[in-house]
Formats: sequence, structure tokens, C-alpha cells
Amino acid sequence: MRHKNRIVDHKTAFAKNYDVVIVGSGISGSIIAKELSKKGYDILILEAGPGKDLTLSGYEKYLNNFYSAVSKDNNAPYKRNPNAPMPRSVDVKKLESGKPNTDSYLVQNGPFISDFTYSRVVGGTTMHFESKTPRMLPEDFNILTRYGRGLDWPLKYEELMPYYRKAEFEMGVSGDVSSQTFSNEKAYEDGYVFPMQEMPPSYLDQCVAKKVNGTKINIAGEIRSLKIRTFPQGRNGIPNEDYKKFNNGELFRPVGAVSQHQAEEGERCQGNNNCTPICPVQAKYDARKTLAQALESGCVDILTRTVASRVVIDPVTQKVSAIVCKSYKDLDSKEYTSETITAKLFVLAANAVENARLMLASGLNSSSDLMGRNLMDHPYLLTWGLLPEIAGTTRGTICTSGISDIRNGDFRTEQAAFAVDIHNDGWGWATGSPTTNLEDIVDNKNKFGKDLRNELVHQISKQLLLANMVEMMPDPCNRITVNPKYVDQLGNPRPIVTMQIPEYTMKGIAYARQMSRQIFQRLGAEDYSVYGTDDYGYVKYKGEGYAIRGGNHLAGTHIMGTDATNSVVDAKQKSWDHSNLYLVGAGSMPTIGTSNTTLTLAALCFKSVDAILEDLKHLHSSKQISNQL
Amino acid sequence: MVLHKYLLIMKTHHEKLSVFLDLSVVLTAFSAYQLHGTGQLEAYYTTIVDIIGDQTMSEILVAFNTAKTEASSDQKQLEQQIRIHLLSNDKLGPITRNIIKMWFIGSWYQLPNIWREAYGKSEKDQTFVVSSIAYTEGLLWPTIDSHPPGAKAPGYGTWANPPKISEV
Amino acid sequence: MHLHPIKTVEDLQFYVATAIQLEHATIPPYLTAMYSIHPGTNKDAYDVMRVVAIEEMLHLTLAANLMNAIGGTPDLTQKGFVPSYPTYLPNGETDFEVGLGKFSLETIDTFLNIERPPLPTNSKKNNATSNLGLLKTQRTKKMLIPTFKSAEGDELHFYSIGEFYKAIGEGITKLTEELGEKNVFVGDPDKQITPEYYYSGGGEIIPIHNKKSALAAIRLISEQGEGHEGGIFDYEGELSHYYRFQQIKLGKYYHKGDEPNDPSGESMPIDWDAVYPIQSNPRIEDFENVLELKKAAIDFNLFYKNFLKQLTNSFNGKPDQLISAVGGMFRIKEMSYQLMRNPINEKEKTTGAPTFEIDLV
Repeated sequence: MRHKNRIVDHKTAFAKNYDVVIVGSGISGSIIAKELSKKGYDILILEAGPGKDLTLSGYEKYLNNFYSAVSKDNNAPYKRNPNAPMPRSVDVKKLESGKPNTDSYLVQNGPFISDFTYSRVVGGTTMHFESKTPRMLPEDFNILTRYGRGLDWPLKYEELMPYYRKAEFEMGVSGDVSSQTFSNEKAYEDGYVFPMQEMPPSYLDQCVAKKVNGTKINIAGEIRSLKIRTFPQGRNGIPNEDYKKFNNGELFRPVGAVSQHQAEEGERCQGNNNCTPICPVQAKYDARKTLAQALESGCVDILTRTVASRVVIDPVTQKVSAIVCKSYKDLDSKEYTSETITAKLFVLAANAVENARLMLASGLNSSSDLMGRNLMDHPYLLTWGLLPEIAGTTRGTICTSGISDIRNGDFRTEQAAFAVDIHNDGWGWATGSPTTNLEDIVDNKNKFGKDLRNELVHQISKQLLLANMVEMMPDPCNRITVNPKYVDQLGNPRPIVTMQIPEYTMKGIAYARQMSRQIFQRLGAEDYSVYGTDDYGYVKYKGEGYAIRGGNHLAGTHIMGTDATNSVVDAKQKSWDHSNLYLVGAGSMPTIGTSNTTLTLAALCFKSVDAILEDLKHLHSSKQISNQL
Repeated sequence: MVLHKYLLIMKTHHEKLSVFLDLSVVLTAFSAYQLHGTGQLEAYYTTIVDIIGDQTMSEILVAFNTAKTEASSDQKQLEQQIRIHLLSNDKLGPITRNIIKMWFIGSWYQLPNIWREAYGKSEKDQTFVVSSIAYTEGLLWPTIDSHPPGAKAPGYGTWANPPKISEV
Repeated sequence: MHLHPIKTVEDLQFYVATAIQLEHATIPPYLTAMYSIHPGTNKDAYDVMRVVAIEEMLHLTLAANLMNAIGGTPDLTQKGFVPSYPTYLPNGETDFEVGLGKFSLETIDTFLNIERPPLPTNSKKNNATSNLGLLKTQRTKKMLIPTFKSAEGDELHFYSIGEFYKAIGEGITKLTEELGEKNVFVGDPDKQITPEYYYSGGGEIIPIHNKKSALAAIRLISEQGEGHEGGIFDYEGELSHYYRFQQIKLGKYYHKGDEPNDPSGESMPIDWDAVYPIQSNPRIEDFENVLELKKAAIDFNLFYKNFLKQLTNSFNGKPDQLISAVGGMFRIKEMSYQLMRNPINEKEKTTGAPTFEIDLV
């Protein structure tokens, strides 16, 4: 995807009158910028990151940083940036009782310590997301009515369906609609297919499926049969001929790498086994692909190294009158300038944590006092075993298949639903494999030469890791707050996280652990899962301990609802309190079910575009009238 | 005395590199062609010398030559002699294990504290990835018929086929 | 036998078979130069060559589509399909040789010759003998296919690849006029490679079913190579191969609006020394003293032979095989690197390289 260089300097940006200012160039901001630019509106995107990544060579620097990093965590490709810091799993440590963890960017109050991360760079967290794109289920949208849990959405699944299609087009989804059958309601139009064919299941998937398919499980009294199915994912595969009827008769055109230069790449997924943290060939969707199209329109400017620091409200109209931002010189410098940017309409698209952080830092708790509350994520329980046969682990995309049969059912009145990923990359997430295997074989098992090589095969190529992604419901006590005591280098307050895993979710986690045991039995796999009490994510429940990991599916912090008392935004993601402000992204989601949040939040943003365009029309006409007067 | 003799024999960089290559073949069970094929021979050698010094590197190479002489072309014997002269040696063992790990994953590991106390703490003795290319050239990956995450991917859909792995 | 202007469908098939061979013949030299660069260095130059190589793959596939469209059979497996390097190009260009060599100024000069634009019209008057872009030539043994013979008995050859494709385009136009489009485009449409099976940054594959799509494919091939009407960009606004390569020679990027030979963009840093010292135009027999290297070089040729077989299969009714064939190119790169990092002999500083002696295995 070729695009124009629209990175502007401060002078240009602050001299220009923009219709819309968007905070954040991740998927939400990029979709909204791209769609609004089609109508010719002038848009400025404020991006906290350094913004050297819209070229192939900039991207390759990320890749090289990753190659040469000792710790290959989600944010390993990016240099530490004290002016716009981001959470890194390597910084997380166990909570000492009585005082919060304050050493790193996220201040963690506990009691649960999460290692969730997000990225503050151009493209946002899509830069390291895995790009799994399951839709939420129709049942997820009225879960309170149906199962007495969580919250109902202020909109129905059917209303979101056309926007899901837009999101699947935008993200270039590969997948098999016919395998997405875990809802009892109509989830897709008749004959609908994804833009591209499903990613072929890995050999590991096939080894697991052979023995696990048909396994009967008892979940809160319901008997279910398990089946290994592929996940839809935003990754370039083989365009689906049948998609033409959903694409004006045209075959889907996969979007290639983002580039300002002649060296274009447009790859299909090659199986780099590195979707997280960085796809080296940009076969995986990331928001820069959408952003590049927005920039190409000529109506969208991007101002990088600029952190939105305060939202200013007009006391009379209660509208947002400006955003104060701090522009830093570079990563290694403390120097910055503070400036004020105005526009007709503002969109906060900085992610669930950063949106709430910015609003709270501006003293805007929302009239419902729900700003920052209802923080959700998908807690993950990892279970890992060694298969009796060589399964070729470490090949393919990070995950091609898993188990989705327990994503929905009446058991949700009692315990959380969940989905299971088969991790093609093996035990890495849980144990640091395969590096740790090598260290163990050389340093402890005292092997070298042929014995070493055979042992490596034995210890790695048979690995099976199941990542159980468990549903978590909104709870106002789980929240983001700010405190002037904790600020970053620019003086911006850092997010303070208070979180605990609700019992509903713990029941689901305990069940997932049990189900893994059954699966490992069926497979004849040796179960190596262990959860140390010294693990920062260690949680005890009914006599058993679990090490729980963050899912980076942060949501709920500016929850949507039916009125200003029960929510922060309406079904269009528009602030109840400030009529020219939209808070977009997963922060608006009342529940997250068992779906990775990105596809749904992308659909919500497409839906918001309709409302924003409507607002802009009115703002324009009122301006014309005032000009005539 | 023995040390002195061997040092005289291996005086050029080229000769030392060639002994280092022979040692690496035994430690990794990859052929000289495959080790050359990583393009990392020289980089690894100089990285190690940079950390432990030329003298200690020479000790390793001499110990390997001794092991070879005593094994007199018997493979099983050679492996035992490597354990005797290198791997079980308190000074040379940790370095030898680091050489193995370097070939397989492209990283240098900081030497154990007890080693650093006894033989000196080089400032360069930190855990680090030798270079981004070294990471991609790790021998771990071909061992398991795979590729380093993020590089050298085998192509769309190849992951659906069984791996081609056989015992060595 | 001499080439002559296209009069029959068989003539056209002969030209297109040559085109397939021609498109392929440029790939080994490009790959050799690319892979001789130390990974991680010369990133810009590497990317420039990479894009060109990818586009050559596209051209090869387009030529195969054209062959299928006119009822011929693309065959990349026949003896002599891969030239013995150094060679003259199969379209008859004989004033320069194309060899397998490391990334160097000399190699880039050769690449510039491969992709050179047609002579400007005024100089053509003096040098070219016909409006087909033909030049007088000295007959040599190394030429892969026959040259033209003029009425006067002169040996003639095409000055540029573009001129050669122009002749094909004119042949198609002539034949469709004489025989009717349906009688020229008689091929099985199921054998066409469609965008599901081939996509890359190098432009889109065109399935060919008629004169219009055939001419569009030809236009894409010649303009990606040589630019549009003497400009440095093709009709899609992409820099042509010739000028892409010229950037490496001049160490500078072209920008939109630049005149030929005068790029105004940012500089392109080149490190001519960060290159494996591979032997030029290597032969298996050169590796006689290094057994493992010799075996690996033979393995490479076997792999490459199989790659060409897979391509041939995919062009003959099994388009899905194209995906795994292209996937196989990752192995080609890996195997090349290994060969290029292994010394040929202890004293000399040169290293091995793929020999591309496909007929020997």
C-alpha cells in the first residue's frame, strides 16, 4: 500500500483549521480518518509515537530491533520512549502486599497483577496483535437478559452485522464462515464468505484434531462435543472467489506492505510464526494499512511525537473546545512544547486505557462517574503438554485453529465462556521456549552434538500449548484511575490499574484447566502445566492455583449504554456529556464475550462514522449560517 | 609446556578459526559446510575472543586439540575427551556451553557468577544477541525443521505438512 | 532457422516460448546479485533488485498465460531452457553478455543493458535497420535462438526486450485481424493463472482470453521494464526497471517529475564491499575439491529443476501449485546463502554460488 507522506510539522498543524482532530493512529483512529477523508473533511491525527514507521525501512528497523532483542516481548520492536511510555510484560512484577507497583509505566494496585500491554506507536496495538478476528456472538449482545450476567448492549447484533462486514473487508479476513457455528442465532447473511479462504490448519492442529474431535465434555450439566476449527484472521491468504458477490463483483485485493517508496511488497502470509510481535512481511493486517489509505486521500495529516495531554471543555456549551498536547523533540530528550489544538469535532481513539487516562487527567469523570471503570480484559490460562509424536510445533501463523464450542451456552448463567487457541509457536508464552529448552538441554541435561539435536526435537517439536481465553464481565470496581503522584516524563499522569478476577471468570478458568486435562489424556500428552506461587499473575481459587496472563483485549472504560446515568457514551460512541466528542474503541464495549476485541471495535468505528458524518453536516451548515450572518 | 607447543602451531588467525570450526562441528553435530553456511563463524569467534580474551580462547582450542589427539579418531572417545578437557573443566566448561548456545540461538549468555568471580568480570560479558543476523542464523531452527520466528518463513500453507525431521 | 515476422499462430507460439525463456533467463542473474549481498546491508539496493525480480516472476507468469491463451504449452523443463551463463539473451540481443556475478557496478551495468529502453527514435534512424527495433548483429555460437534475417541477408536482432514484445503485440494484432480473435485465443481458460494464485507488490496478474487482455499484459511487461514512451515511469506511475537499477548506479533515488538520468531524490547508500566474494559464472566442476560444497551445489540445481517443474505444472492446469512453487523460492534463497558463504578453497578468497546448470542434473 503506497501512500503520501503526510507527516506534518507543528507549525503547519497548528496554523490549519481542521474539521476533526483524532487522538491516536491505531485501528479506530485510522478507520475514522479514512472514512471521513472520503467526504473531504480535513483531519489531523495526533500520534504519541515517534512515527518513523510509515516507510519500509522504518518498519525494518522494528524488525531488526526484534531480532536483536534479548527479550522478545510484544513491545520488543520499539525503543523505550519515556515521553510516551508503554506497558511491557518484562516490567511486571509480583505485588508486594500493602503498596502498589509503581516502577513501570502502569501503576498496578492489584489485587490481580496483569501483564497486559499495548503499543503507543503509529498503527497502535495492531502492530503486535495476533489479528485473530472472530465476531462476537448474537447472544453476547443481550447477555444480561439472557443469562443474568454482565450488561446488555444498547444495540443489537443485527445492527452491527453490516459493519462487521466492513471491518472484515478492511482487515482482510481469511477464514471459513461455515465453521463459525456456535451461535443459535443467525450470525451471517446467507451465502456470506470472508474475503479470503481460511488459513490452512497447521500440522499440529491436525495432530490434535485427529484425537480430540468428538471428545464429549460436561459443562455445568450440558454435554458438548469438541471440534478443532480454524479461526478467522486478518492475514493475506487466497482471495475467495465467492466473496465477489459481497464486493461489487470484484475479487478481494489483499493489501500489501505500507511503503512510501518503490520497494513495494504485497505478500501472502508465509508462515513466519511471528504475528505477535511483528509480521516481517506485513501479510498481517495492521492499522497502518488503513492509515496509509487515509493519508493518500490528501485530507489527513498526522502529527507525531505529540501526546494529547488535556481535553478542554467550554463551560457554557459543555463541548470540547480544544485539546492541549505536548510535543516532544525526540525519544531521548526531555524537551517538549505545549500547544492547543482546536477543531469542530474530536475523536479519542487512544485505546481503552489511554482514552480513560486522558479524560480522567482532564478531570472529566463523566456525569455517570463511569469513566475508567468496568475495565475488562480476557484473562488467559495457559496449559501445556508434550505430545507423544512429533507435531512440527513452531510452524505456521501463531495460531490457526482452536476450540470454540464452549464460547456459548446456558452454562453462562453459572460460569464464564471461553475459547481455546492451539499455539503453533509452542510453549513460548508459558515457559520462554524454545530458548529455555536449549538452555536446559545444554546447561542441565549436559548434552551436545547429536544428543543435543535429538533432545531439541523431542522437547520442542512435540509441544502443545492451549491458551484458554476466558470471558470477563464488567465490574465498576475494576478500573483505571489517575493520581498526580504518578506522572511520566512529560508530566502526564500514568494509568493506575485496579483489577481483580471475578468469581464468574475464575469458575471458567478452573473449568478450562479441567478440560485441558481431559484433552491431554485423549492425546496421550504429558501435562507440564505448573503455576508457581511466585508468579505475578498467581491466583488461588478453590484450593488450586493458576497463573493468569493478560490478553491485551482492554475494554469497558468508557462503556456505552442507553443513557447518561448508566454509561459514558451512546451506541454511536458519542459522549453523553460533550456533544462534539466521540470516545471510540473497545473502551465503549459493555461486554467482550469470547471474541478478540479488534474486529468488533472496528465495526463499531465504521458505525460511528455514519454518526460523525451526520454531526459534521450540521456543524458545517451552522457554520455557514453564522458566516452569512 | 604443552600449551606453549600448541600456541606455536596455531599462530595465525586463520588457523585458530579453523580449529574453532572443527570444535564447533563436534559440539553442534552440524557439518563444516553448514556452519560456514550461517556466515557467522568469524562473528562468533571474534565475539567470544572479545569477551574472554585471546589467551582463554587459545586454551579452549588447545584443549580441543588435546582431546582430539587422545581420542585418535574414535568418535565416541572424542565425545568423552571433550567432556574431560572442556565441558567438565571449571574454566572452559561454561565457555564451551556458551559456544554451543551461540551456534544454536545466536546469543551470548553472561557467564555464571562463580566463573566471573574466579576468572574476571569482563564488562562485555552480558547476555546479548550477537547480531540480528546471528539470531536468524541460529541452528536450533533447522534442527527442528523450522525457522527463526520472524524470518526465513517457508511459504504459505507449508505449515499444514508434516515436518521433515529425522534423528541424527 | 531464423526468426521472421509473425505470420502464423505457430510463429506467435515460438515468440511467446522465447518470451517465457527470456523472462526466466533474467532471474538467476538477479537472484545471484541479490543474495551475494551480506544480509542486513545494502538494504535499499537489495529492495530495488527484489522488486525487479518479483516483477520478472510476474512477467514470466503473464507470458505463460499468453502461451496458454493462444493454445500453446508453457514448458520450463525442456533442455536448454535455462541458459548456460554467461549468455546472450534469448531475444537475440548480442552486444552484451548476461552472467552470474556478485553485486557490483559491473553487474548493475549488465542489468541496465537487460532492461534498457528502446533507442530514441532519432538515433534509431542511424542504427536500426527496420521499424521493428532491429540491429545488425555478428552471428555467434552462444546465441540461444536464431536471429532475424533481413531481405538483404543481414543478421538482425532486437535492440531491447521492449522491441521484442512490440513484435509479439503486432503479431497478435495481425493474426486476430486475419484469423479472427476466436481462432487465435483457443486456449483452455482454466489454465490461466488468476489473482487468487498470484499476487505481489509487483502488479496484478492478468488472465488472458482475448486480444485486449493479451495486449494489456504485453504493455505491462514492457513498461515495467523500460518505462512508458521514453519516460522513466510506466503508465501506472511506477518507476521502470531500467531506472530502478540506474538509481543503484547513481546512488540516488528518482522522484516523481525527474528527467531520465538525473534523479533528484535522497541518496541511496551503497556498500560495494558488503558482498560475498562469489565466483562469477560458477560450474559444478569448479567445486571439485570441496565435496560438501559440490554436493550442495548439485542439490541446489536439483531443487531449482524441481521448482521449474512445479511452475510448469502450475501453468498447465494446476494453478494451486504456483503457491507452493513460489514458497519454494525461500529455500532457493537459503541454499544460495549457504553456497555463497562457503569458501571454494582455503587460500583463494572466492566462495561458491549456485551454478544453475539445470541440464546437468
